[in-house]
Amino acid sequence: MAALKRAGGVLAGLAIVAAAAACGGSTTPASEQSADAQPVSGGVLKVALNAWEPTKLDPQSQGNSNDPLIFRPIFDTLFWQTEDGELEGLLAESADISDDGLTYTFHLRDGVTFHDGAEWTAEGLKLNFEHALDPATQAVLAGSYLAPYQSSEVIDDLTLEVTLSEPYSAFLSVLAQGYLGIISPQQLAEAPETVAENPIGSGPFRFVSWTKGEKIVYERYDDYDWAPESGATHTGPAYLDGLEINFIAEDSVRYNALVAGDVDLIDWTPPQNAQSVRDSENLEFVKFDRPGHPYALWLNESNPPLDDVLVRKGVFAALDREAIVETVSFGEWEVADGFLVPSTPAYVENTNAEFAYDVDQANEFLDEAGWTERDAEGYRVRDGRRLSLYFPTLGDVTQANQIVELAQSQLKAVGVEVVIEVLSDDQQQQIVADGGHHLSAGIWTTNTADVLFIKYHSSEITTPERRGTNQTFTADAELDQLISQGRSTTDTEERAGLYAQAQERLTEIVPSIPLYYRPSLVSYHDYVHDIAFDRAYGNLWFYNTWKDATG
Amino acid sequence: MTQARGRTVRPYLRRIGARALAGVGVLFGAATLGFLALYVLPGDPVYAIAGNPDQVSLSAEQVAAIRETYGFDQPLYQQYLEYLGQLVRGDLGTSYQRQQPVTTLIADQLGPTVQLAAAAFATTLVLAFAVSLLTAKRRFGRGVSSVVELFFISAPGFWVGIVLLTVFSFRLGWLPAIGSGGWQTLVLPALTIAVGAAPPLIQVLRNGLEDTLDEPFVLTARTRGLSEAAVRLRHALRHALIPLTTLTGFLVGGLLGGAVIAETLFSRQGVGRVLVTAVTANDVPLVLGLVLLAALAYVVVNFLVDVVYPLIDPRLRSEVTA
Repeated sequence: MAALKRAGGVLAGLAIVAAAAACGGSTTPASEQSADAQPVSGGVLKVALNAWEPTKLDPQSQGNSNDPLIFRPIFDTLFWQTEDGELEGLLAESADISDDGLTYTFHLRDGVTFHDGAEWTAEGLKLNFEHALDPATQAVLAGSYLAPYQSSEVIDDLTLEVTLSEPYSAFLSVLAQGYLGIISPQQLAEAPETVAENPIGSGPFRFVSWTKGEKIVYERYDDYDWAPESGATHTGPAYLDGLEINFIAEDSVRYNALVAGDVDLIDWTPPQNAQSVRDSENLEFVKFDRPGHPYALWLNESNPPLDDVLVRKGVFAALDREAIVETVSFGEWEVADGFLVPSTPAYVENTNAEFAYDVDQANEFLDEAGWTERDAEGYRVRDGRRLSLYFPTLGDVTQANQIVELAQSQLKAVGVEVVIEVLSDDQQQQIVADGGHHLSAGIWTTNTADVLFIKYHSSEITTPERRGTNQTFTADAELDQLISQGRSTTDTEERAGLYAQAQERLTEIVPSIPLYYRPSLVSYHDYVHDIAFDRAYGNLWFYNTWKDATG
Repeated sequence: MTQARGRTVRPYLRRIGARALAGVGVLFGAATLGFLALYVLPGDPVYAIAGNPDQVSLSAEQVAAIRETYGFDQPLYQQYLEYLGQLVRGDLGTSYQRQQPVTTLIADQLGPTVQLAAAAFATTLVLAFAVSLLTAKRRFGRGVSSVVELFFISAPGFWVGIVLLTVFSFRLGWLPAIGSGGWQTLVLPALTIAVGAAPPLIQVLRNGLEDTLDEPFVLTARTRGLSEAAVRLRHALRHALIPLTTLTGFLVGGLLGGAVIAETLFSRQGVGRVLVTAVTANDVPLVLGLVLLAALAYVVVNFLVDVVYPLIDPRLRSEVTA
């Protein structure tokens, strides 16, 4: 009872960042359908994802798109992102930011108990920061999100003062993402290496077992009493008795396993099956955009001829992005209209006419760049060299392969050759890191416009010492300055202005070709109710979810 | 008789000993070739450790720590010697991606694959014996069977699996589509592997049977009034077993390849699925461990085949003495 009162006593957790976020583009989950039904406890929800299974169950060590969905049940984060893009307290109640943006004072929630009985204290938060930054953790993503972290000091049991090496406006927002799940302080103090196989957190579900190559099993954590207020439909423990997350590599098997009732819900619905799910009497369908940078073709500016902005613009104008996205997604994905997904704070609509598909315009750009001659095969030639672009790829995702091939044929129409080579992960990554490629493709999901720093700041270019994130090798002084300022400015209005200018600058230098938002495509049986999403990453979240008696 | 046996046993043992030594040589060769092949491939192993997440960023400290932990800063020959030293102690190293000992990872995943392989092997043999015994020297049965066999040899295993899944799992709902608990989950994956593996065996066994059925002693047996079934089972089959035994050695390799497909398609845990992810991620220690496992399986099976030959075929025993 005491626990219940405490939960009720927490006033709408403090909104710390007033990020003016437009949430257009994403579909609201179809939870209204169950408005008249009364939620019931019980049942195990069987979920199926694609083959992207974590390599370790330490959330801070991972960097794949499925991970926030997989870790969110077990781990809470410090903050929760609300529908309008603000942050609300979860394991932290609030945070004070010093005027210089260098000191963050975290006030933690009282009364949180981890699955192993450990108490939640400031010391525990300190251990978590240090774990993510310990090279032994190999935190491929969380480590970089915390890079400006310098030190922290325990003020009292529930207060931690963190000092950053530089002002970092995205700090609190990234702490809401599933990759920064808070691990049991007791486990981190006693045996941090065991997190990989036996993760212990404070979330609504506890870890039960992991059959590698097959599934992860969870059970309800009965003492859970600190659900994020704005996201949750109820308080106390979750409705479901447990969760089972299966990894089904084959698209058709995943879809048919849903139809046949082997699983209750699938993410990564094959786009070609989305319509039949909608038409089905007993299946439901919902899609949800992930914030951050759209899925894009990255143009390597360091490798001629892409060092010439005219060539980059020519390539951009030659691609019929509508047709590409329509074809590979069977109409399920929207074409990206800028360098940020609309649900990302500070997104501005792109109105640059040069971004339209226009073959004549593309030919003009390429002519202007001096690629005027043609060889026997119809490709453009300048100074005896063919206008040819090298695209090393992994070939592991059907849609990505289709995009590459469609782009290849469309570029051929304006006399640009694309040479595709399918390689293993580390070979491809090595080439991209060395800048030996012209084209690569990818997405970066995160809940702040700081993604522009991650993808386009010159300091993020890979060096022999470190692995950076700037795959386009963009090194533009004007852009650098705008996104550096955006990163260090604590004022929300000012920051939004800076990011608007940065997006404008990107349309001038064209370092990439944004294609689509890659939403989660979720299909489920109609006996499953109250599907919800964690907006910090755009992943499914099962705290509200329940199954009715027909399941 | 006793004297003859005494004369044959010692060379037989010597031969077995030589085979065992050769097996060790094969394992050493596999380890060395595998090591060289994987290390000579382009690609910085630091990226293999980071895997293929969508989003990667490694600081200078993280990169340096990885290089040091795995000894990438040492010259190749030193890494090789260290690797061999580890091997001798039964240590296969630590997986790049999972940061677990390779021996543990393989041991955890071996059980389900062995179950699957055993089920597939048994199904293959049953199919091979049944079909070849029923169709040998029977014009119509042989004709139909040959067409079916040819079809399944050329049909990709993946497609066969999808068809089986669609019919027995998604349409009829008789068997589960995913997972690895209980015998029900073994049926379709084992069948997927077996229908691809059985046809060559059927053909070899049937040819063997047909050759034997032309032998004079079969005629003698028939004139003694033996039934057709008895002739086939008691006389012809034993003779036809020899080429089949040889093929069995190859079959084991096919089973591992089949496991890769079946485990992926039916979402089963097992070394096949581990192999796929390890290869695409270039997780060198794990791939090497699996290469050695495959080599070991080959060596053991071929060793057993060599041991069994003279027991099936007494002619081989006298050849050994000669």
